[in-house]
Amino acid sequence: MKKWMIAITIGLLILFVSACSSGEHTNGEGSSDADVITAWAWDPLFNVAALKLAEEYYTQENEGFQLQIIENGQKDIVQRLNTGLSSGTMNGMPNIVLIEDYRAQSFLQAYPDAFYDLSEYFNIDDFADYKKEPTSFDGGQFGVPFDTGVTGLYLRTDYLEDAGYTPEDLTNITWDEFIEIGKDIKEKSGKYMISVNPNDPDDLRHMIQTAGVWFTEEDGRTADISDNEAVREAVRIYNALQEEGIAHINTDWSSRVAAFNSGSVVSVAVGNWMTPNIKAEESQAGKWTIVPIPRLPVEGAVNASNQGGSSFYVLNIPGKEKAAEFLASTFGSNEDLYQDLVTEIGAIGTYLPALDGEAFQQSDDFFGGQPIIADFITWMEEIPSVNYGMHTYAIMDILIGEIQKYKDGKSLDDALHDAQKQAEGRLIN
Amino acid sequence: MNKLKVFFIYLILSVAALVSLFPFLWMLISMTNKSVDITQGSLMPGTHIFENLSNLFENYSVGSALFNSFFIAIIATVLCLVISSLAGYGFEVYQSKGKDIVFTILLLSMMIPFAALMVPLFRLFGNISQVFPAIGVDTLYAVILPYVTTAFFVFFFRQNTKMFTKDLIEAGRIDGLSEIGIFFRIYLPSMKNTLAAAGIISFMNNWNNYLWPLVIIQSPENQTIPLLISNLGSGYTPDYGVIYTAIVIGTIPTALVFFLLQRYFVEGMTGSVKG
Repeated sequence: MKKWMIAITIGLLILFVSACSSGEHTNGEGSSDADVITAWAWDPLFNVAALKLAEEYYTQENEGFQLQIIENGQKDIVQRLNTGLSSGTMNGMPNIVLIEDYRAQSFLQAYPDAFYDLSEYFNIDDFADYKKEPTSFDGGQFGVPFDTGVTGLYLRTDYLEDAGYTPEDLTNITWDEFIEIGKDIKEKSGKYMISVNPNDPDDLRHMIQTAGVWFTEEDGRTADISDNEAVREAVRIYNALQEEGIAHINTDWSSRVAAFNSGSVVSVAVGNWMTPNIKAEESQAGKWTIVPIPRLPVEGAVNASNQGGSSFYVLNIPGKEKAAEFLASTFGSNEDLYQDLVTEIGAIGTYLPALDGEAFQQSDDFFGGQPIIADFITWMEEIPSVNYGMHTYAIMDILIGEIQKYKDGKSLDDALHDAQKQAEGRLIN
Repeated sequence: MNKLKVFFIYLILSVAALVSLFPFLWMLISMTNKSVDITQGSLMPGTHIFENLSNLFENYSVGSALFNSFFIAIIATVLCLVISSLAGYGFEVYQSKGKDIVFTILLLSMMIPFAALMVPLFRLFGNISQVFPAIGVDTLYAVILPYVTTAFFVFFFRQNTKMFTKDLIEAGRIDGLSEIGIFFRIYLPSMKNTLAAAGIISFMNNWNNYLWPLVIIQSPENQTIPLLISNLGSGYTPDYGVIYTAIVIGTIPTALVFFLLQRYFVEGMTGSVKG
C-alpha cells in the first residue's frame, strides 16, 4: 500500500516538473505580441498558401515583418471566434482571420467593436461588386475581399456527344431546361446528369443568387422564404433533380468528389474552387469543359452565381495597424500577387485591376484548351450582388427539414410557410 | 432445439460484432490506401501505408501533438483520481448536516452541457491570463484544469465507497492511524478496481476531448491529436489516407490503456472492492 502512495507522488512530481519546463516555451507566444502578426485560415493548399505568397511579397519591402499562420478547419475557426468574441476578453484572438462571405455579417453585426475598419487602407471599389455587401457594415469596410466563389457548370463533353448534345446546348439555359436535357441523357446513356447531397442543399445558395435574392430581406435579418419566388423555384428544382432520377446521390464531400472522378455524372454545378478536384483524375483530361451555370426560371435571373468565397478581416487588438497595412499592400492592391495566386495556387481573386494580367488568359489543356480563368472572370462580373445577412446557415438547417417533408408529400406552399414560421421564431432580429 | 438457439445467438452476436468492428477494419484498411481509392470505397488493403506515414510525419507535428495529448491525459487523470477519490470518500465516510444538499448540487452540475459552460469558462481563463499567463489561454494547463475533477467521478467514487467495509476505518483509528493515513493506507489500496475504471474513463475523456482544447488552444505547438486530425480534414482537397493514418495513431494509446486495464475495469464498473 505504501507503493501506491509513492508511485502516485513520484508520478505527480515528474509530470509537474516536465510541465513547468514545457510551460516556458508555450508561454508568451500569442497574438498580444504585436511583433508577430497571427492569421487564422483554413486549407493548406489554398488560403494558407495564398497568405504565404502574400507574406513573401510583403517581406521583400518590409524586413522584419513576421506572419504566423495558424491553420484550422473553417468550422473550428468559427467555433473559436464565437467563443473568444462572446467571452469579450479578446484573449488569444488572431490579428487576421479569414471568414467565409456567407458568415461575415453574423460576426460583423454581433461583435461590431471586435473588428478594425479598413476603409482608409484600401479601395473597395477596386473589387468585384458582389464582394462589397458581405465585407462591409454600417458604413465601415471591414474585410479585404479574397477569392471568388464564381460558379460554372462543368461538363463531360464525351458523355454529351454520345447523347447527341454539344456544350452550346447547355450554355445560358434555365434549370428546367437542364432537367429536360438530363432526362434525355439518362434515357439514352444511363448516365446521371448531376450529383446531389439530399442532406446538404448548398446548391440552393448558388441557385437563388442567380436571381439576385437571398433567404433574408434587404436588412439581412428578416427571413424571406415563403413569399420568395426564387427560393420556391430553387427548392422545387432541387427536389426535381432527385425526383426525376437524374441525380446521383452523394452523402459527403468524398462521395461528392468520387461521383465525378469515377465518371458517374455528366456535369458538376459548383464554385470554381472545385477545379483541382476535377483535374485530380488525370485520365479525364480533355473531356471536360465549363459553361455558365444554369439560372432560375424567374424574371431577372442571370447565368452567373457564387458559391463560397471568403475575405480577410483584422481584429481590433494590438497589431491591427500592422495587419491592416499588410493586407492592404498585398491582397488590397498588389497586381503581381494576383498573377501568382492564379498560376501557383489556382486561386481567382476579385481584385479587378489585376484581372487583365497574362496569368488570367492562360488556356487549360485539361479543359480542351479553354481559357477557364478568363471565362470565370467574365461570369464573376455578372454575379448579382446580394446581402447574405446574418442567418444563412441557420436558415439552411431549417430548410433541410422542410425539404425532406416536401419530398415525403407535404405541399411546397406548406413546407415553405412552415420554414418561414420556424425562421421567424428562431432567428434573433 | 438447443443447438438452434445457440446458433441464432451466435448469428446475432456475429452480426453485432461485425457492425461494431467494421469501422475499425475500415480505418486500418484505409490507412494503407491512396486518398482516391478511399473515396471510391476500396475495401482491399493497399500499398500506400509508408507514403501516408511519411506524409503525415513530414508535414505535421504529430510528435508534439502526441506529447501534448499524453501530457494532458496523464496529468488530468492522476489529479482526477486523487481529488475525486478524496471527495467520494469524504462524502461517504464523514457525517455532516449539509452534505446531501452539497452532493445534490454537485450532481445537478452534471446536467449542464459543456457548450453552455464554454463561454464563461473561456472568459475565466481570459482573466486568469492577465494574472498568471502560465496557466491562462493557450496553455496545456488551461486544457487540464476544468477536467481535474467532475461531478461524475465524485459520484462514481462515492458509490463504490458504499461497498467499502467501514469497520476497517474503525480498526485503523484504533490502531492509531491518522485520517489521511487511513485514506492512503487502507482505503486506496482496496479501491484498485475503482481507480482503474475511473482512470480509464478519465484518460479516454481527456485524450479524446475536442471542444475545450479547440477553443482554448491556439498555437500549433500546443495542439492535441484530435485537433490535428480535425485540421487534416479542413482543406478543399483532403488526403484521406493521411487522415486515417493519423486516426489509427490517435487510437492506439486509448486502445492500449483499455486492454491493459480491462480486467480491473470490468470489476471496477460492477463495484467490487478488494478487502
